[in-house]
Amino acid sequence: MKKTRITICTGTACYVLGGANLLELEDFLSDEMKSRIEITGSACLGMCKAASNDSKPPYVKIDDEVIHSATIQKIIAYLSER
Amino acid sequence: MNESSLFFEVDYYQINKSGMSVAGDVFLSTRSDDGSIVTVLADGLGSGIKANVLATLTAKMASVFVLNSMDIRKSAEIIIDTLPVCSERKIGYSTFTVARIEHDGNAYIIEYDNPGFVFLSNNGAEKISYERIDIKSSPVKKNFINYYSLHLERGNRLVFFSDGVTQSGMGCASTPLGWGSANTGEYIEKLVRSDPGIGAGKLSRSIVAQALAHDIYKAHDDITCEVICCREPRKLLLATGPSMHSDKDREMSERIRDFKGCRIICGGTTSQIVSRELDVEVEVDISKISRDIPPKSVMKGIDLVTEGILTLCRIAELLESGKFRNSDESNAATEAIALMMNNDIIYFLVGTRINEAHQDPSMPREIEIRRNIIKKIIYNLENKYLKKTELQFI
Repeated sequence: MKKTRITICTGTACYVLGGANLLELEDFLSDEMKSRIEITGSACLGMCKAASNDSKPPYVKIDDEVIHSATIQKIIAYLSER
Repeated sequence: MNESSLFFEVDYYQINKSGMSVAGDVFLSTRSDDGSIVTVLADGLGSGIKANVLATLTAKMASVFVLNSMDIRKSAEIIIDTLPVCSERKIGYSTFTVARIEHDGNAYIIEYDNPGFVFLSNNGAEKISYERIDIKSSPVKKNFINYYSLHLERGNRLVFFSDGVTQSGMGCASTPLGWGSANTGEYIEKLVRSDPGIGAGKLSRSIVAQALAHDIYKAHDDITCEVICCREPRKLLLATGPSMHSDKDREMSERIRDFKGCRIICGGTTSQIVSRELDVEVEVDISKISRDIPPKSVMKGIDLVTEGILTLCRIAELLESGKFRNSDESNAATEAIALMMNNDIIYFLVGTRINEAHQDPSMPREIEIRRNIIKKIIYNLENKYLKKTELQFI
């Protein structure tokens, strides 16, 4: 099975608005989840420049889908649904 | 900038006497307007605050006198006359070594009761003849300073150290009288022979580490070592920030690619522009994370790729305080500083486009405008670390 690719933005805006915590994502995942994902970082996803009230950093990309205001809980919830 | 001219790399390393919060040894280095370098290593009598105050007084006086082109011998005399004398021991309160190195390589050094410095040429340690000058006006019975005048060439090194180095290990079975000048000199020679390209930072650190080992990792005195390397200048390019006009992206990327020397890119967007233009992949290394500074990235051909503003701010802070020397901090900012310290001429290529996302009031106020941070970094590199810098906006 192809693994789900999680890309965490480590650009300035994302990092200070919570992205720093997201890098610890792996510690919060169950073994089952860990086995089906792959975590990578991105120097900048470029999303912050188009941020609005409805879409704020930190950004995380799960495969091709972008999650804004990302938190570890939000990512886990998203992964459980899949 | 005349690149064929001599470059003097100056760095030092210091460990306080065990249990002391400040060092009684003070090191100062300054570059004068005419390009000469003045360094002072002063060792105040005793240790702790008292010694620090006396050594600071001495070092500051010496560097100001010598910077203002006063004859180095005359200034030594004035300092010795001014220094308070210990009522019991009848010796001056601070010993010192002052070196003035002119841009053409002529060096003048005076030593007052500090251990003799080590001069290394490509053939190893060499003895330098000196003039022993009696300070007649001195309030203390017998007072001599050693005066050296020499000419430095590419590949030469000067190593100065406080008595914390030569007396390290005193009382131990293997070194009952301490490490001693001769052994210290031999050790330095050996270090340089095994690593001929060793820079001032690494050399001074290695010497201090060895002295500390003699003291069984509990320094009995302040241990300070200063190294001046005369070498072909090493160059580093730090590129940060996207250009105001995106049609310059290509030019910026090519300049990074064609630069001969060490290369650093600071900035997520910048690294992606370079990655796109030069068609090299950039990958964030999330194996090592720190709370404060975003992780570095890896890009083929680039020595270090980091995030932008946060990392630059940290670099500016660390350069300002000098705390990177004795700290366990390890992140993209400290790696960038290590590269800067190992290089002599630092070129800044700064893009001035402003990231609107950073102007959000909910952002920490440390997030400053790039130009301002670069200005701070340059100020410290030039004045504190005697680096040469060149700044260009793109």
